[in-house]
Amino acid sequence: MSTSLGPDWKALAAAQKIELTETARERLEGLSKTLLGLRGLIDWTEEPAQIFQLAASQEDSAE
Amino acid sequence: MTVLEAAAALRRKQLSSVELTVQCLARIEKHNPDLNAFITITASTALAEARKADEELTLGLDRGLLHGIPLAHKDLFCTHGVRTTSGSKVFSSYIPNFDAAVVERLREAGAIMVGKTGMHEHAYGITSNNPHFGAVRNPWDPQRIPGGSSGGSAVAVATGMALMATGTDTGGSIRVPAAYCGITGLKPTFGRVSKFGALPLGFSLDHVGPMTRDVRDAAAMLQAMAGYDRRDQTSADQPVPDFMPPLGEISLQGLRIGLPQNFFFEKLDPQVDNAVHFMAYTAQDLGAELIDIRVPDGHQLNVLAQVTLLAEAASVHEPYIRKQRSSYGDDVRTLVDMGRVLPATDYLQAQRLRKRILGVYLDLLKQVDCFLVPAVPIAAPLIGQNEIAIDGQMEDTRLATTRLVRGFNALGLPVLSMPAGFSRDGMPLGCQIVGRPWDEALLLQIGAALEDRTGHVKRLPPGFPPA
Repeated sequence: MSTSLGPDWKALAAAQKIELTETARERLEGLSKTLLGLRGLIDWTEEPAQIFQLAASQEDSAE
Repeated sequence: MTVLEAAAALRRKQLSSVELTVQCLARIEKHNPDLNAFITITASTALAEARKADEELTLGLDRGLLHGIPLAHKDLFCTHGVRTTSGSKVFSSYIPNFDAAVVERLREAGAIMVGKTGMHEHAYGITSNNPHFGAVRNPWDPQRIPGGSSGGSAVAVATGMALMATGTDTGGSIRVPAAYCGITGLKPTFGRVSKFGALPLGFSLDHVGPMTRDVRDAAAMLQAMAGYDRRDQTSADQPVPDFMPPLGEISLQGLRIGLPQNFFFEKLDPQVDNAVHFMAYTAQDLGAELIDIRVPDGHQLNVLAQVTLLAEAASVHEPYIRKQRSSYGDDVRTLVDMGRVLPATDYLQAQRLRKRILGVYLDLLKQVDCFLVPAVPIAAPLIGQNEIAIDGQMEDTRLATTRLVRGFNALGLPVLSMPAGFSRDGMPLGCQIVGRPWDEALLLQIGAALEDRTGHVKRLPPGFPPA
């Protein structure tokens, strides 16, 4: 069962037939929580599904 | 001996490429059993290539500064007819039928491959303590790690087993071993050097770059490695400038160097703090203006980079780990497993946030020309040391080692890693100079100015006199 707003890591791992260590679960939990806390910075109008290219990002930032 | 010194000696006929190659091979024979820097040694082909290089020079065909210079390739660059393991059991018998782009380019520049270097398994870690090929050892103290993942490349260069080496950097894998072994490493701008034929780890984080004794050697090597390659989808069609810093004292007059007041100078061994500040004051003495800045939260940026790497590396390893699970070392298998359960939404949010933070950094780089920060918060830890005390607090060794480097992979900015001094017990300490996209030439110029003034580069590991 999930212990927070984040995913149930144990169940996700079991679905892939993987056993995660406690340390690995804690790290994933920590990463996910930090990401959740950063949602306020996201520009929801931006299209994320693109190959990361610095030149393109630079142009965006100059706009 | 540096690449530039060797190049000059070759042209003065004081030395031949064969003699230089024999010297490197002799060092490999003598020291590799203890340091384990090489997985494969290509002595016979190296000598044949060296003879050809000498003949070409005699005939007046000069391919430039790297002509006839012994080189080591990290063992994840595909080399035609030569085993390419990626430090793994999975690829332990893989013999490519083509060369990676940088292997091609460096060969065209006349470099002589003496072998393939040891590394962290699949480049997924920073110790180079490899479960299949054994631990690579730090020549400054063989009980300590050389850093990774390009650990063998750093050791080869630090000890003169090769005069230069290739490396890859997905989360610090050039800059960390450079710092721990007291050499120079450059992570170029994302897209500057082709990744074609480099076995991948993180598609959007992998960078290919030079590892050398000093800054001018790194410039010479980057000159040969850089340039657009249509075979690499992320390669950038950018002009390649002259990277070589001038000889003689370089003034830094008019340059604005940013010193972050948050994150980068927190939780450091005080010796690292002192060494990097000494470099900053040296830059000031050479004419630069030091400017206090505040950077976006480094912990948050590291999280974005970690999420990105976990997902991308899991995608790369998915087909192999399903069938050859037992062929992976414990640490790498755990990381791949973590990536396999990470939600796709987390990966995509990380990409959105990454772009946003890059914008903030690019704005900061309008106020200053570069940042000067530590490369690693400590000197090289002991082999097998999982936790380390920094300023009285225990920290996971891997997370501590990558804390100051990882974020720049997510941003794609160019970063030069170079020696900043030494600890009381004689271990190298490193700093990073971080610049604007495509501005490697400026970083190399600043690095050369600091190197000329401080002379850190002249100090060699004990027992490894100059060639």
